[in-house]
Amino acid sequence: MSDVFPKWTNGLPWKVLVAVFLLASATVASISYYATPKYTRVGYQPKQPVPFSHAIHAGQLGVDCRYCHNGVESSWFSNVPAASVCMNCHNQVRKDDPKLALVRESYESGKPIPWVQVHKVPDYVYFNHSVHVNRGFSCVECHGPVNKMDEVYHAKPFGMSFCLECHRQPEERIRPLDKITDLDWSWEDNDSTVTNILAGLNVNTVDEAKAKMVHDWRVESLINCSACHR
Amino acid sequence: MKNDATSPKELRGPDYWRSLDHLTASPKFQQWAEREFPETVLGAPDGKSRRDFMKIMGASFLLGGMGLTGCRRPEEALVPFSKMPHHYTHGVAQYFATSMPVRNSAIPLLVKSSDGRPTKVEGNPDVGECGGGTDSFAQASLLNLYDPDRSRYFLKSGKKSNLGDAEKNLAEISNKHKSDSGRGLHFLVQSTSSPSRIRLEKLIKKSMPEAKWCVYDPIDFEGASRGYSEVFGRSIRPIYHFDKAKVIFSLDCDFLGTEQDSSAHIYGYTKGRKVTDGDDGLATTNRLYSVESMMSLTGSNADHRFRVTSNQVFGVAAAMMDKCFEALGSSDEDAGSPIPALRTSLRDKSKEIPEHRSKTGWSAKWIEESVQDLIAHKGNCLIVAGQRQPDAVHQLVAAMNTLLGNVDKTISFIDREQHDAITIEELKLACDAEEVETLVILDGNPVYDAPADLDWKTAQRKAKHVIRLGYYEDETSQDVDWHLPMTHYLESWGDNRSSKGFWLPVQPLIAPLFKGFSEIELLSRLAGQTDTKGYEIARSTLRAIIGDSDFEAQWKQCLHDGHHESLKTQIVSLNVQAFDWSKLTLQIGEAITEEAQFTQASKDVLEVVFHRDASMDDGRFHNNGWMQECPDPITKITWDNAILMSRRTAVELGDLKNEELIEVNLEGRKLTGPVWIQPGYADFSLGMALGYGRPSPGRVGSLGDRSVGYNAYSLRGTTSKNFTVGGTVKRLNKTFPLACTQDHWSMEGRAIVREANLENYETKRDFAQNMDLEAHSAHIPHDADGQPKQIYKHPYTASPETKSEIHQWGMAIDLNTCVGCTACVVACQSENNIPIVGKDEVANSREMHWVRIDRYYSGEPAKRSQSDNLVHDDQQAYEEWIDDVQVVHMPMSCQHCESAPCESVCPVNATVHDHEGLNVMAYNRCVGTRYCSNNCAYKVRRFNYFDYNKRPLDKLDRGPWKTFVTEGFADRPQDEVNLVEMAKNPDVTVRMRGVMEKCTYCTQKIEAAKIAQKIKARDSGDIEVPDGTIKAACQEACPADSVSFGNLLDPNSKVSIAKRSPRNYSVLGFLDTKPRTTYLAKLRNPNEKMPDYFKMPLSTLEYKREMGSPFESHEHHTHEDSHGDHGHNETHASEDSGKGGQH
Repeated sequence: MSDVFPKWTNGLPWKVLVAVFLLASATVASISYYATPKYTRVGYQPKQPVPFSHAIHAGQLGVDCRYCHNGVESSWFSNVPAASVCMNCHNQVRKDDPKLALVRESYESGKPIPWVQVHKVPDYVYFNHSVHVNRGFSCVECHGPVNKMDEVYHAKPFGMSFCLECHRQPEERIRPLDKITDLDWSWEDNDSTVTNILAGLNVNTVDEAKAKMVHDWRVESLINCSACHR
Repeated sequence: MKNDATSPKELRGPDYWRSLDHLTASPKFQQWAEREFPETVLGAPDGKSRRDFMKIMGASFLLGGMGLTGCRRPEEALVPFSKMPHHYTHGVAQYFATSMPVRNSAIPLLVKSSDGRPTKVEGNPDVGECGGGTDSFAQASLLNLYDPDRSRYFLKSGKKSNLGDAEKNLAEISNKHKSDSGRGLHFLVQSTSSPSRIRLEKLIKKSMPEAKWCVYDPIDFEGASRGYSEVFGRSIRPIYHFDKAKVIFSLDCDFLGTEQDSSAHIYGYTKGRKVTDGDDGLATTNRLYSVESMMSLTGSNADHRFRVTSNQVFGVAAAMMDKCFEALGSSDEDAGSPIPALRTSLRDKSKEIPEHRSKTGWSAKWIEESVQDLIAHKGNCLIVAGQRQPDAVHQLVAAMNTLLGNVDKTISFIDREQHDAITIEELKLACDAEEVETLVILDGNPVYDAPADLDWKTAQRKAKHVIRLGYYEDETSQDVDWHLPMTHYLESWGDNRSSKGFWLPVQPLIAPLFKGFSEIELLSRLAGQTDTKGYEIARSTLRAIIGDSDFEAQWKQCLHDGHHESLKTQIVSLNVQAFDWSKLTLQIGEAITEEAQFTQASKDVLEVVFHRDASMDDGRFHNNGWMQECPDPITKITWDNAILMSRRTAVELGDLKNEELIEVNLEGRKLTGPVWIQPGYADFSLGMALGYGRPSPGRVGSLGDRSVGYNAYSLRGTTSKNFTVGGTVKRLNKTFPLACTQDHWSMEGRAIVREANLENYETKRDFAQNMDLEAHSAHIPHDADGQPKQIYKHPYTASPETKSEIHQWGMAIDLNTCVGCTACVVACQSENNIPIVGKDEVANSREMHWVRIDRYYSGEPAKRSQSDNLVHDDQQAYEEWIDDVQVVHMPMSCQHCESAPCESVCPVNATVHDHEGLNVMAYNRCVGTRYCSNNCAYKVRRFNYFDYNKRPLDKLDRGPWKTFVTEGFADRPQDEVNLVEMAKNPDVTVRMRGVMEKCTYCTQKIEAAKIAQKIKARDSGDIEVPDGTIKAACQEACPADSVSFGNLLDPNSKVSIAKRSPRNYSVLGFLDTKPRTTYLAKLRNPNEKMPDYFKMPLSTLEYKREMGSPFESHEHHTHEDSHGDHGHNETHASEDSGKGGQH
């Protein structure tokens, strides 16, 4: 019988077991890294048909987010502006800039500009912009520092765990309503605005202020399925 | 539906492709993907607004189905407008006031537009007509807009033509007939209420005086108007005020169901049906008597019901009239008064009333006592006669209502447009005589629905030139010179008048999906008008009414409100003295002589009754899947009509079985259909629903190669439009399966629907709670503290912090006002993207309706022995107790149990409780074990056995892979878009195969309302949704206002108030499920003196036999009591038999 299994095969079951274990771990590890939104989405930066720079418009020029995305406070959807909105300024400013050719053409012809979608949640998620921006949650929490982006990229992972992070602890991200579109503003800023807010709320610390806002506005920690899935 | 499209296979890309990019590079695919509607469908798109709509659609569509480019999400485009439209925000639904035309009436509506496409029809609560409710037809009309088989081409002799040629042709006809003053020009139209159409008709009559108008409605609802007009000598239309009537008497009139404007009638009726405390502190409600042949919704809601064949109703009316004279005195005893002569003939006629089979004098007493009740309520009672009854009956009813002093109280009148129209019989003669030069057919479908003996198909072809405006390329369009596609009311401008005289606008929510005309646009072209746009026509009509000054503002106001108070037709004040008794005497005398050869229906000569169907109307909803699958309110049959008959009829015809095919012969014509034994049907009367069995059905209305149902029109002749005696039956020894959603008829004495008579209610108002099992026995296990032991864990006891202190949702359904009309079923289907599953699947009990309406029959316990309970469903139709039954209707959907049995068995936590008391379904988690459905006590969970949303009904069994790889991407011909998708509600997930679903309390509406409130609150804590903001789809559609929904934490909310009613109870409450949906018990208001009076409702008697009277306290039952101790049952049972009033 000893001829059937030579001596070196004695170690084989162990080797196979170890190999299978390593392979399985690698598979699990790679799927949980590569197939989750953290890898697949973050950093996504498609080329847009018009080289529009948020850094110039929202950053340098200080145009409010809501000038272009005017549906954000009333709809689940934050709209991409129509060409006519661009033309409000660009019929005066940089009238003949070749980079704006597509915008002018769209305005003339009625043919829409096919902007490439960067941020998207799956169809079974009913995310609503209006309720977030009206209740103290800034654009920056999900979209990152758009006012510093030349070309918009996907800054946050947008997986369900990302949503739940905030839904479990809304007091971590809440801010005053007039700072919603002020993407650079932060509770950590040691300037007068924070002091004024604290004074207005009659509290001493930032944490107390946040807690008080959540309490007074009755901001719920919504972690039920029906909050987002219908 | 024929279209010469290439087969679906040609839509496929190359047979072998290396990557999706390769596949998508094919020019065919590019074209398909870039343009949602490929060229062949539409020709060139017309106008900008339409294209804007496409852009929005395109955004979600573009490459949406191909998410496989690498592992990354495909690149998608956001396509904004090029110019921002005003008053529009993407994602925010808009509502527009409009109205749905229905023959000579209309239903006021508010229609929801989701980003440019109409997605939900709701009633307009501002018009005091239906209280914001609708009927199921209005709900389902939305799907007709997206009917894949609707007509989309201009056809010249069956070949595709275009708009330009069609217009040229119409102009030629107009010019020609203007020059010969309309000689030979004939119109075949359906009745209308549209002021614009009436105006254009007048214009045409003026310029072409010899043109002839034929108005033909396959189902004629003008009988009552004709009756009243005749005897009052003035053209009037009655308006019923059911809400003001304390006693309502229906003579074969299904005003709660298949009569026109049923939603308005239900609204009025249930207003009077609501239990209110009278001045004496006693509860009062109205009372309903019904005399009818069929078991109709009205009959099923009646407190007293007398079943006679439809042709015996005349006799009943005559007897009633005579009794009225007797009691009220005919005052005209002087010579020359026509009344004595009238009474003689009435008495003659009333001899025809059938005697009760076993009790002599029963029928006479029934009529005597009911008339006495009417007389006792002089001035606040109301008698109505059914659409199918002859004019003589309507005249008698007019006379009785006048005698009883109801005029201007429970009934008032508006002027009715005089129409000198010819009948379809006369038009046929003209066709045969070849006098018809041009025949213009507007809508309708006469080849299908004209009386069979007219042979309309041949007659129509004898006209030299036939033009047809039709919504479908149907039977009538098959042999015409021009077929013009008609636009849907949701895509055209116009106007209507409701039967109560409200002026209602028709305003489009979308540009016509396919080119076409509305009726008024076609008529204006024929009239040679310059303004041929519906918008201008409707405006001109209104301008003529309200004048130029301030017109624009008024017009806008009309469109905004959906009506205008000042435009309401004035109520006519009638002089009761003007009642023409001589004429009545003459007419009744004539009618009686005409029917001298009155034959009593028997098993050899059966009565055949043709009736409007609750789902098909007259056939116009035949290709509408929602309506096909909506169970009939009484029979609960879907996807078919049956030949309805009583148990005795079936027995005497040789023990006919349910689903057995028989051949019915009538006047030399015959048809074949399946038998369905209907409890409470009149003996020797056969009920046949019109509107089924279309010779050339659409794809939805056909099963395999045959149409859904049998065609009752093929049996119907000119002399038997409504009913006639003379049918014979031949057995065929074949069976035909019917898909019925409720096989079992009886509650078997269990307290599912709880009901009491008003007088019982007074003895114990909380009788319904007394019928809970807990009230009787120690069924429920108790813990050491004497508290009921919990069977299922309660989410808020286990973790109280998860319970919201702001909202807790609940629902209460008032069974006393629910009439069972099924509007909620269709409304829910529309709101929640519920698919249809087809007849085979319904037969497998896989229908998907989230709300169903359970209908139970109860019979006299004396006629039921204990062993009856063991009768198999197949045999129940031969039980004698079903002859005279009481009926109850109960809407049943997810009860949102607080301790939900479904939740504890789900292995993946797909169904869980949310913080506001909703039992929610996370579709993405569901793996389809169906454990939840098995553990649900109410059987309200629905499982997607197939991909109902993706597959045609005949191809459900195909798996996803097979379709994707071998069948190409679409199952439809190349020139077709999937229109049905456009009817979907964007706020609700479209569920896929393998997923469980059920009522969500319209969670999308709840969330929308909460979000709206939060947006309003901003940085304040005012986030509680005010009561009445959220209306679940069923509640919104309900014309009876039976459903209340709201926040249980608010003690003043409508639902909290409802739940405090003593009538409030939970179904199967003893299971400890703690349902959030509760019911308010039903009350009946029978008349003690009637021969069919029982001292309590029959179902309560059945219950009493098992459990003891609910109107006595059960204090003697302690926990130690054994529930099996019911030795006293026998005595109860014997007490209950016979007339209960004496006990």
